[in-house]
Amino acid sequence: MSEIEVVGQVVGGKAARILVREKSGKKIELGDLLAVEEKEALLILQVYDLGYGSQVSQSTRELLAGLKLEGYGAGLTFLEPQLRNYVMAEVKAVARIEGQNVRIPKTLPSFFSSIRHITKADLAFLTKPSYPIYLGKVRSGSETLDVPIHLNGMDILRHHVVVPATTGRGKSNLVKVMLWSILGQDRFGILVLDPHDEYYGRHGKGLKDHPKAKDNLLYYSSNPPAGTNTLIVNIKSIDPRHFEGIVAFTDAQQDAIKRYRNLFGEEWIENIVRGKEVQGVAPRTLGVLQRKFDNILGIHLDDSGEFQSRNKVFSDTAGITTTTDIANKLEDGKIIVVDTSRLIDEAELLIGSIVVGSIFHRYQRFKSEGKLEEKPVVSVVIEEAPRVLGKEVLATSGGNIYSTVAREGRKFKVGLIAITQLTSLIPRSILANMNTKIILGNEMALERHAIIDSAAQDLSDDDRTIASLDTGEAIVSSNFTKFAVPIQVPKFEDYAEVEPGKKEMNKTVFVG
Amino acid sequence: MYKFAHIADCHLGAHRNPVLQKLESNAFEKIMTKCVDEKVDFLVISGDLFHSNIPDMGVVNKAVKKMKEIRDEGIPIYLVYGSHDYSPNETSIIDILDSAGLFTKIVKGKVENGKLKLKFTVDPKTEVKLVGLSGRKIGMEEKYFEILDRESLEKEKGFKIFVFHSAITEFKPDYLARMTSIPISYFPKGFDYYAGGHVHKRIEEEWQEYRKIVYPGPIFAGSPRDLELSAKGENRGFYIVSFKDGVKKIDFIEIPTCQYVVYEYDASNKNSTQAQEELIQGIQELNVDNKIVLFKVTGKLSGGKTSDINFQQMRRILAEKGALYVNVNRYGLTSKKYTSLKVMGQDVHEIEKKLLKESIGSVKVKTTDLKGNKGIKLASDLLSALRQPQKPNETKRDYIERRVRHAFEVLKLTEVFE
Repeated sequence: MSEIEVVGQVVGGKAARILVREKSGKKIELGDLLAVEEKEALLILQVYDLGYGSQVSQSTRELLAGLKLEGYGAGLTFLEPQLRNYVMAEVKAVARIEGQNVRIPKTLPSFFSSIRHITKADLAFLTKPSYPIYLGKVRSGSETLDVPIHLNGMDILRHHVVVPATTGRGKSNLVKVMLWSILGQDRFGILVLDPHDEYYGRHGKGLKDHPKAKDNLLYYSSNPPAGTNTLIVNIKSIDPRHFEGIVAFTDAQQDAIKRYRNLFGEEWIENIVRGKEVQGVAPRTLGVLQRKFDNILGIHLDDSGEFQSRNKVFSDTAGITTTTDIANKLEDGKIIVVDTSRLIDEAELLIGSIVVGSIFHRYQRFKSEGKLEEKPVVSVVIEEAPRVLGKEVLATSGGNIYSTVAREGRKFKVGLIAITQLTSLIPRSILANMNTKIILGNEMALERHAIIDSAAQDLSDDDRTIASLDTGEAIVSSNFTKFAVPIQVPKFEDYAEVEPGKKEMNKTVFVG
Repeated sequence: MYKFAHIADCHLGAHRNPVLQKLESNAFEKIMTKCVDEKVDFLVISGDLFHSNIPDMGVVNKAVKKMKEIRDEGIPIYLVYGSHDYSPNETSIIDILDSAGLFTKIVKGKVENGKLKLKFTVDPKTEVKLVGLSGRKIGMEEKYFEILDRESLEKEKGFKIFVFHSAITEFKPDYLARMTSIPISYFPKGFDYYAGGHVHKRIEEEWQEYRKIVYPGPIFAGSPRDLELSAKGENRGFYIVSFKDGVKKIDFIEIPTCQYVVYEYDASNKNSTQAQEELIQGIQELNVDNKIVLFKVTGKLSGGKTSDINFQQMRRILAEKGALYVNVNRYGLTSKKYTSLKVMGQDVHEIEKKLLKESIGSVKVKTTDLKGNKGIKLASDLLSALRQPQKPNETKRDYIERRVRHAFEVLKLTEVFE
């Protein structure tokens, strides 16, 4: 190892808190990945805290600063200052590399070992797996190394992914990058419930610009651009169970719903909206249900008694196959983006509930028939996950299809990609089931602790590092990575740069 | 006020059975007569007038006579190809009759700078502007919708009709969920009437800027499923649309053809003898006189084979009781002894391999070479060896010997038989 590469030296500490003195003129950053070369192995260390060290007493340093500040000697300095004052880094060993084997380190680096920054060659063990999902490049502090990080999508998606961060840290950007990287693979059926209409790229660059988008991406919107699908759901596709954990009904209302379902079958909502009286249901209860369906689904009768949909998403005639179509396409390994920007929360979650319920039960059946392994993994991207996975929601409703998927989905190859600002609202039992966490910056201590407490690796020392993550910087903590990998997620617009395809001009022969 | 008639999916020539042929042709004739009686100003046919691009000439002859009658009454006919009577090189019977002036195929246009520019056909009497896109096999018309210059069509003023032969994704019935379809967003907006065909179900919709989207469904039956739906109460017929500065009235004119009887039997947990007896007893009690009988048998037999049930005998009994026609549907009937397998694949070899994979477990043998993946490979190789075609100039004897030799090689039995 040449002298130039050395950035510091191990000077003390213990297993989870190794002390490194920084070499003068070098910069060690929070989150930096450092390397110690040993006889037959390479030890990777990560910086989690920085502090000052000095051979001069505090009072002397204060005195010297006072003299300079008060103008008693501008040229005053320490004798050989680089020896007397320095930076101390607190680091932890995160991985021990022996050839292609990566292990959790169980020994300390040799005392007084020289330390250098990690290089691309040191990370050669990070190979591209089968069914890769791209997350970004390895980041050491604020420097990005040219080492791409791919995880096996088959593994991570069925075991759920959680993306915790506060606003503006790049959550949607990260998920867009991930989806772009798998759009051509046919092995992942992804349902994106998109309340901000930001994935497809209606007004800018988006998943629609992927070279394989025509075959593998479907977009549903109540205001669809040409060639995409109208988000229209027939109310006959809605079953009372789809409301579970999404809309709260009183006992009387639930009883009334059950009666309407039993009497009118799949036309139960229509008969409630039309005000059809049923024995055992008080007119007041019926009125409340009508108002609820009006508020949630936007469906009501106009003055001439015609069925109307305010948001044009729920219909009594059209959209009979919409949810089945979506489930079929998920089973075919396509990415489905559903623009729910014009819907209220409950309506968005309800549509998700119908589709997720359908695919989940379908996959349960495939498992019992021994056909599950040939099916693609299905994953559901859900923004503001505590809306359906929050402690309060689950305590009052007892659960919903999303929590069922969170708990049991991995057995049936159905997973969640849960995006949230408020991880602390999700019960630990569910967070523990989410085996990959892609942690972006978060300034809220409570949220950081919730993430750290449920991470796949011990991140108890990384509180400060997580707080200091800038936009696009992340830490990947997963059961499928050997250590918590710091990454830099590229900007979607840069990552999705593709060669402009040659336009097919006049190639189509028209036969009338 | 003007009027036009809208029909679709006549599928003339779909049936070989003379009774069904007669019913089909009756339905068509009744519609033509009704158009004359109602003095419609023109007739729109949204594809699949015929069941194939070169149908039986007897069927064509009858249809032409009726269409000529209404044309002679001054009622022009405008149509598009359907997926059944489409021809990629414009050699369908539709093109011949179009050239002969019996009707006008209204799909006219060309691809310019990657955009499909369609040209309107104007009905001289009513000045209605018609434009359309034909159906093509397996939904291939999607490419045309993709490059369609919608803007120019939307800009055109006047009463406009868009004629097409495709399912619209948003309005597909549940049993057609897997059918290839076109999203409504591909259609030009602002037409007064969207005259649809291809979906064998009556549909009337109004959807945002798409004012009237109408499918009349088939006039009789293009498939056994149509018969089944008719038997379950789906009305068959066509539309007469009254218009003046927009659509004023849409009337569905029902064309009854015959009565139906549906007989469904679940054979689960019965053996073939029991099922046979119960079926015969059941059909004896039916009033089938002058009716089409749809006979559906489902379930898994607990014993015996499905072929033990004599459906020919049942057909005979029903015919003797006066049934017009009997359709037997036993696709849902299986036996514990022989279970049917459903697999999907891109080609015969893939399907074959999957079938072998599904079935290998049920073969009880001790030799490991006949089990699991080894067994599948052996079976597959053996089938390939036996499937070799006869070479030119190869005698039958040589051909058989060659195949047997290859089979022995696959089975590694050459030495044994030498």
